[in-house]
Amino acid sequence: MIRTRTWVIIIAAAAVVFALLSIWMLSAKQSGTIAEVIQDGVILREIDLSLVTREYSFTVEAPDGGFNIIRVQPGRICVSEADCPDLICVHQGWLNNQGSPIVCLPHRLMIRLKEVTAVDAVSH
Amino acid sequence: MAKKAVCLLFMLLFLAACGSSPASREHSADFFAMDTYMSIRAWGAEEGLLPRAEQLVYRLESELSVTRDDSVIAVLNRSGSALLPDDVIPLFETALNLCEDTGGALDISVYPILQAWGFTAEEYRVPSETELASLLESVNYRQIAFDPATGEVSVPDGCELDLGSVAKGYTADLITALLRDNGVTSALLDLGGNIQAIGTKPDGSSWRVAVQDPAGQGYLGVVNVADSAVVTSGGYERFFTDESGNTWWHIIDPATGYPAHSGLLSVTVIGKSGVICDGLSTALFVMGRDKSESYWREHRDFEMILMTEEGRLIITDGISDSFTPAEGMTAEVISG
Repeated sequence: MIRTRTWVIIIAAAAVVFALLSIWMLSAKQSGTIAEVIQDGVILREIDLSLVTREYSFTVEAPDGGFNIIRVQPGRICVSEADCPDLICVHQGWLNNQGSPIVCLPHRLMIRLKEVTAVDAVSH
Repeated sequence: MAKKAVCLLFMLLFLAACGSSPASREHSADFFAMDTYMSIRAWGAEEGLLPRAEQLVYRLESELSVTRDDSVIAVLNRSGSALLPDDVIPLFETALNLCEDTGGALDISVYPILQAWGFTAEEYRVPSETELASLLESVNYRQIAFDPATGEVSVPDGCELDLGSVAKGYTADLITALLRDNGVTSALLDLGGNIQAIGTKPDGSSWRVAVQDPAGQGYLGVVNVADSAVVTSGGYERFFTDESGNTWWHIIDPATGYPAHSGLLSVTVIGKSGVICDGLSTALFVMGRDKSESYWREHRDFEMILMTEEGRLIITDGISDSFTPAEGMTAEVISG
């Protein structure tokens, strides 16, 4: 009898923890600050820009041997350097929670926000 | 009693673990094609449907690309005549009708001019006036001989065509038809910034489509749509600056051979047909504000959002309830 009651309490507690966890996960998902670095449809990195505390950079190698250097700062991300012919990705500047994704066509690279704040798509 | 409570709790936990039903599952495809980035998100699609949509895009690209030697358009430009495949005939017909209907503001024969400015190879230069004048002689969509029944098309010497101004919109229409025929009632296509919505979101609410601010990083506003295409053209998309500091963009006025300076920075067209929205956004950009307004009053089968060089945001009254300007922006509404 006592054992049954203990189980009820444990499971009830687990249910409460699950409920709190799902609420936290759902609300975190809507923050709109997770940047995805995608090459040819494959997600290379997911970076939660709201958790970035200091600046850092990393290099993405392109299939054709080229490169893009990606700079991450608290709340924003950009391509700081690349060896593509048009440099459109570099000139596009910082991607914050507005604006269209950064695209480097020659290197088939894209950086976009996972949940652009309350918008489903951008016409441009 | 206590055992019953344990069972009940377990059942609740299992229920919570059940996600959405397979019918409403989201499928997505992201890929590069037609010199741009494309993404498709669809709900309720069968396995394998989006790869078919992707293949459809690659097939159209191989038929339409002006820079691929073996495409039917490249063959036409090289030899002066070609036989269009069945799935390109409706596109060609619609494009020619749009050229006529917009009084030549859209002209699919402007390709030699685009080449002269270097927009096709991204080796930019400012052509001389004499060079442009001589090239302009062969720019005129009326010289194109086309038989929609057979798909036979021919052009005179020096005349070259490019369907770049309508190809993405047409592709979106074909993907839309493919998805619909296979039971998809909710999908969002993004073909390099050409947006096309099928139905509403799975929860029944409208899709929220932002319009890029041509002069900055943010948006002009957000428009709520269902079953619509939203296509934007603007000089900001592709341009270069010459040694004297002049900015030249890729939308050419077929009447002058120079990049169109009509007082507009961007034009967004919202309507049912992707191909019409695509072609119209270019044509209206060339026409400028006043002519665009008259064109809209005559047709009334699309809506538009114009951004002028003076920073005025103008929308048509059909979207006055569904468009929300960005913070700090006010939209002037024009009515019929």
